[in-house]
Amino acid sequence: MSSNSLLELQGLQKHYPVGGGLFTPLVGVVRAVDGVSFAIGEGETLGLVGESGCGKSTLGRLVLRLEHPTAGHALFRGRDIFRLQGLELKGFRRQVQMIFQDPQSSLDPRMTVGDSVGEALLIHGMQVGKERGERVEELFLKVGLEREHIHRYPHEFSGGQKQRVGIARALATSPRLLVADEPVSALDLSIQAQILNLMKDLQEDLGLSYLFIAHDLGVIRYVANRVAVMYLGKIVELSRKEEVFSFPLHPYTEALLSAALPPRAGRRRWPRILLGGEVPSPMNPPGGCPFHPRCHRAFAPCPTVVPQATEVDGRLVVCHLWG
Amino acid sequence: MKSLVSRLGGRRHATALGLLLLLGAVGLAQGWLGLTLLPPLAFFYAFLGVLMLLYGAMPLYTNRRLTAHYWRRTRRNRLAVAGLWFIVFLVLLAVIGPFFTQSPTRVNFPEKNLPPLGFTISQSTFDLSAGQFIAKETPGVWEHPLGTDDKGRDMLAMLVSGAGVSLQVGLLATGLAVFLGAVLGVTSAYAGGWVDNALMRFTDIMMTFPFFLLLIFIVFLYGASLTLIIVVIGLTGWTGTARLVRSEALSLRTREFVLAARALGASPARVIFRHLIPNVMSPIIVIATLSIPGIILAESALSFVGLGDPSVASWGRVLNAGQQTLDTAWWVAVEPGVLLFFTVLAFNFLGDGLRDAFDPRTEV
Repeated sequence: MSSNSLLELQGLQKHYPVGGGLFTPLVGVVRAVDGVSFAIGEGETLGLVGESGCGKSTLGRLVLRLEHPTAGHALFRGRDIFRLQGLELKGFRRQVQMIFQDPQSSLDPRMTVGDSVGEALLIHGMQVGKERGERVEELFLKVGLEREHIHRYPHEFSGGQKQRVGIARALATSPRLLVADEPVSALDLSIQAQILNLMKDLQEDLGLSYLFIAHDLGVIRYVANRVAVMYLGKIVELSRKEEVFSFPLHPYTEALLSAALPPRAGRRRWPRILLGGEVPSPMNPPGGCPFHPRCHRAFAPCPTVVPQATEVDGRLVVCHLWG
Repeated sequence: MKSLVSRLGGRRHATALGLLLLLGAVGLAQGWLGLTLLPPLAFFYAFLGVLMLLYGAMPLYTNRRLTAHYWRRTRRNRLAVAGLWFIVFLVLLAVIGPFFTQSPTRVNFPEKNLPPLGFTISQSTFDLSAGQFIAKETPGVWEHPLGTDDKGRDMLAMLVSGAGVSLQVGLLATGLAVFLGAVLGVTSAYAGGWVDNALMRFTDIMMTFPFFLLLIFIVFLYGASLTLIIVVIGLTGWTGTARLVRSEALSLRTREFVLAARALGASPARVIFRHLIPNVMSPIIVIATLSIPGIILAESALSFVGLGDPSVASWGRVLNAGQQTLDTAWWVAVEPGVLLFFTVLAFNFLGDGLRDAFDPRTEV
């Protein structure tokens, strides 16, 4: 992987035990994230797509060190984030921040939004007294809010405004990497575009990198440089955005694309592929290729042999079609 | 110093902790030196006062818009407002009443069994001049507007002093119980895992414990005193609060603003005191209001069965005495009973009103 990558994941795994408490037997293990490796470069946006329950959000939390992995490493600027302690950990927290999905619940209802944004500065002892107030004001203006909004409470804002406050909070410590977990999926369509444009502008101004988690391919197409497709805890395809959208390699990507609305009405480039059945339980994934029961291109080796990651024209794909 | 204050989650918590530690230190020191600078109940008042001022009054003041909002919503419930006024009246009665009434302990046999003003009963008294019992019409008198008991003690004075006892027991024991319950509940929810398991199983055991029996047993062993009764009720009454607060905090813990605070590197103490506790304050206030009447009743019941503090005229004790003279002087039992009834009702109405006001599901 490139040497100038900001964040590099190496075989990251997160398994949750089911049961196994004091009075309950261990029933099984949910493989939420099951061996994920990729890298994000400086100033890059990596889009992470997948159905609900495929482990996207868990991956996001791992990157923020809100959860501890079962196995694997995550290197931020070459340092394993799960080994950081004390001041180094604080430094990491300053540099990696999160934008949340639900603006309703991502702000403390008992705090003014200004206090919520200022809390970041308070925790890191970054600016004190009047300076802190000025920094909060600067952040508010930067995300397109007004000075007089600072002393209001979250319930006085619309969803889009709250999301702007959430972005201001994430920017407070001048981070390098932002993990955005479905940042626009709870917003109205018109507001979505505003927030996405804001995020793009900020990226240009501040040289931010994004790990952009979404299930909406249209959104991913708008913001991402590269796209990673996740299925049942695993990355099944990873390539540059243009390539993914013009020529998907993995049948799952193909199916996702065919389900999305075409960019222009009446122009559908691929036949509609309907995914049969449900997403299998991550507690008990199918043998062989985990996608084979729903795959429209499954053939002989799929139910038995686990496919390996292959490089095709510099793109990564995990499928027997390309093996 | 500054970093310590910010570690504790801000100036308010640092002040609270400092004052509480100071109180504890003074208490320990005077116990160790064998002095009594302050009676034990004064410590309770100070303790509760610090908590109420910093966590009750201050947020209400600094966040006036929210206060006005909740007051508007509470005001819509007329019964709750009536309950609130009755409680205010009761507090005034307990605080300034004793300056205007006679001594509740002054025995005056010639004036025994006087009915309340406006009532007249026929009482058989021994007439010295006639040398025999004669039936005599006895009207109520202005000196004793609520009548007297069988030892000639003024009912009004006894009820006023009883109001003080009931409010003391209700507020102090509830304060102690709710404080313990809130701290245990939030800690349990935030820590999770085996800490949560251990604390909640302990709560279950405490819940199944017959606390009234324990109270009777302790009073039997150590003798009845108001302080002891308050402490025992406080130390056993926290279980419901702990469970409620835990369940509230559990749902808050996974909310995104808590994740955001953790992603910013907030310490557990900061998350608990700045984010979790303020957000569970409304259910805490509601459960405190709703558990006050139960505790007042418990003290009265204890006094009624004769295990109350013998040095104070609590409503339960007057009720107990009145029950023995029910056929000759009904008012001795009825008056404290009616007061008790309305007090319990007032707290319940207020609690219900606050619960509706704080419930976001009824938000319009």
